[in-house]
Amino acid sequence: MKKIIVDNLKYRYPSAQELALKGISLEIEKGQFIGVIGPNGAGKSTLCQALVGLVPHFYHGAYGGSVVVGGLEVLKSEISALALKVGLVFQNPFTQVTGAKLTVYDEVAFGLENMGLDRAEMIERIDRALTLLDIYRYKDRNPFDLSGGQMQRLAIASIIAMKPQIIVLDEPTSQLDPQGSEEVFRAVDKLKSEGMTLVMVEHKIEKIAEYADKVALLSGGELVDFDRPIRVFSRPDLERFGVAAPVYTRICRDLKIKDEKTGLYPITLEGAVAAVGSLE
Amino acid sequence: METLSLYVDRDSPVHRVDPISKLLYILAATAIPIILPSLLTAAVVLAISVALLLLGRTFRRVIPLISVIVFVLLTILIIQGLFRAGNVTPLFQLGSLIFYREGLLYAVRISLRVINIMLAFAILILTTKPSDLFETLVRKGLSPRIGYVLSSVLQIIPQMQNTVGTITDAQRSRGMETEGSLAVRLRAFIPLIGPVVMSSLTQTRERSIALEVRGFSAKGKKSFLNEEIQEPYHRFIRWGLLLSIILALVWRVAA
Amino acid sequence: MKREGMWSLKLSTAALVLIPVAIGINYIGKFFAELLRLPLWLDSIGTALASMLAGPIVGALSGAINNIIYGLTVSPISFVYAITSVAIGLTVGIMAYKGWISNLWKAIVMGLVVGLVAAVVSTPINIGFWGGQTGNVWGDALYAFLLAHNYPVWLASFLDEIVVDIPDKVATIVVAFAIFKGLPKGLISLFGGGKEIEKL
Repeated sequence: MKKIIVDNLKYRYPSAQELALKGISLEIEKGQFIGVIGPNGAGKSTLCQALVGLVPHFYHGAYGGSVVVGGLEVLKSEISALALKVGLVFQNPFTQVTGAKLTVYDEVAFGLENMGLDRAEMIERIDRALTLLDIYRYKDRNPFDLSGGQMQRLAIASIIAMKPQIIVLDEPTSQLDPQGSEEVFRAVDKLKSEGMTLVMVEHKIEKIAEYADKVALLSGGELVDFDRPIRVFSRPDLERFGVAAPVYTRICRDLKIKDEKTGLYPITLEGAVAAVGSLE
Repeated sequence: METLSLYVDRDSPVHRVDPISKLLYILAATAIPIILPSLLTAAVVLAISVALLLLGRTFRRVIPLISVIVFVLLTILIIQGLFRAGNVTPLFQLGSLIFYREGLLYAVRISLRVINIMLAFAILILTTKPSDLFETLVRKGLSPRIGYVLSSVLQIIPQMQNTVGTITDAQRSRGMETEGSLAVRLRAFIPLIGPVVMSSLTQTRERSIALEVRGFSAKGKKSFLNEEIQEPYHRFIRWGLLLSIILALVWRVAA
Repeated sequence: MKREGMWSLKLSTAALVLIPVAIGINYIGKFFAELLRLPLWLDSIGTALASMLAGPIVGALSGAINNIIYGLTVSPISFVYAITSVAIGLTVGIMAYKGWISNLWKAIVMGLVVGLVAAVVSTPINIGFWGGQTGNVWGDALYAFLLAHNYPVWLASFLDEIVVDIPDKVATIVVAFAIFKGLPKGLISLFGGGKEIEKL
């Protein structure tokens, strides 16, 4: 089942001259994990924001083509309606806290109150989301007293509680310390194992290699490649797009260790171990 | 993190009264002495406010609030006592300065009015959590979007204060002068305020996005995580306050 | 790019989020003015910026909420001066929309107008609450002098207010103008940009 259909999407920000997205088309199936990679200014964040309707409804500007998410056509839907289908988590954990709620528990309730859910339903969802993200014990704290990693997990919990079918994560660890990043990746593990459809922009390429079913490589507002990670990471011209292949791929390439069946370089530690094993 | 508030966390009968009743008390305590402008009315209202603050076990917290304006009230007493147009009856003399009865009475009346309004507000402020006040107002029909703004101000100011502390230290360590002549100090203002302002303004984009994806602009009716606390006696208080204003009006017209 | 009408009442989320920031800026302005012992209040820079960015309605709301919050958290007397803050927000918003922030000289003229408006609005409040005084030492000294020489209360009170307001508001608008000119274009268009979506 198709969860996201992007068809020839073009977009220009109001104060810009150039298109940020120049005709992107891709389809995402239910339960897939899509990694999005590419250099700065490739249009990764713009694509994320187009999936949740911020492009064009928040920024305005010029828009062409279409995006259909969970059965809703983005151009014809309001952001608040789309929010029930697709959630967004972005870089800065600090600005994702609403600032209007005094406790972690109430913070998660913010979106649910906007949805008009009844009390019992809210409490059930909040308890579940806080437990899933492993921050239930902080429920009475002020959100701003949390660490970066905890705050980012709060942002994810707040989105999860709204029960979207798809979650878009736009570099969720880029502003966190190593420990905070690890906490967030553990949360992403859980979401993946729950069968959530996920789209993640991430510079830590090993993580993409580990999780992704497919990788979208963007450059200059265009979709250069959209394929299985092992194929995208094996592209000889990958570095030209400002993306370094995963460390295991680079080592195996230097050592000329290929996967026997596919003839491609491994992209994960497990893959590399298997490829080395098959040599003997 | 500290939030900005004068609320005093106590368990008292005054604390348990709903915010709307306290807002109505402010209205009554302001309006009745204006409707019936005698010193006696003002004194009665003053006594009731003081009694309520004592009952709310928050009276001591009022003193710093009042002391801020005491200085201004003193200057009013002096200036009006000496110079008010219509001063005819000398009351007493300090050296060559003659204080007049009319001016002093006028100053006392003004001071009582200001103090009455201050105390009525103090009852609301000291015994009500700001978040409860805002939530009640939203339940009573205030736009939830304005409700958001009110609540978030209380969190944003302490955060900006933290940033300010960091910036002040940084600029000082770079050798910027915060002492010296007026011109030097004026020049220091922009580099101090500029960075906080820029960073907080740029953050508005991301914060707006965060709100949007949490359904902030949804058109449907919102619900509340907290249950509304309603006591039957709250209604009596509200009607009682409204009635007292009406009675004062009737008294004024009849007399 | 087309601009929204000045009185467009649909408060966008971005405009609403701007209000608490504006109030925070007011607070910080006042804090630094006190830290540097400047003879000015500088406590409405944020309101002025909100008006320049998002128009008179958002500016007026920033002013009103600023005084409500200040009243709730610092000094209750601030509530009644909400009217002055609203007037400041409206004046800056209207003048900025009409082009009075295109250069520094125009901004200074705007500061003079804002100071005048603030004094006109504050004077009746000062008379009602304080018998006409402002609480500012220099202004009140002038007030006492004028009253002693048999000038009417309203004139003494107005002059008491305006000697403080004019320099303060000119400085406020100049600071707000300097910050506004330094903001990135993308940010400015977020608040005041066109609301329609062009088709590609």
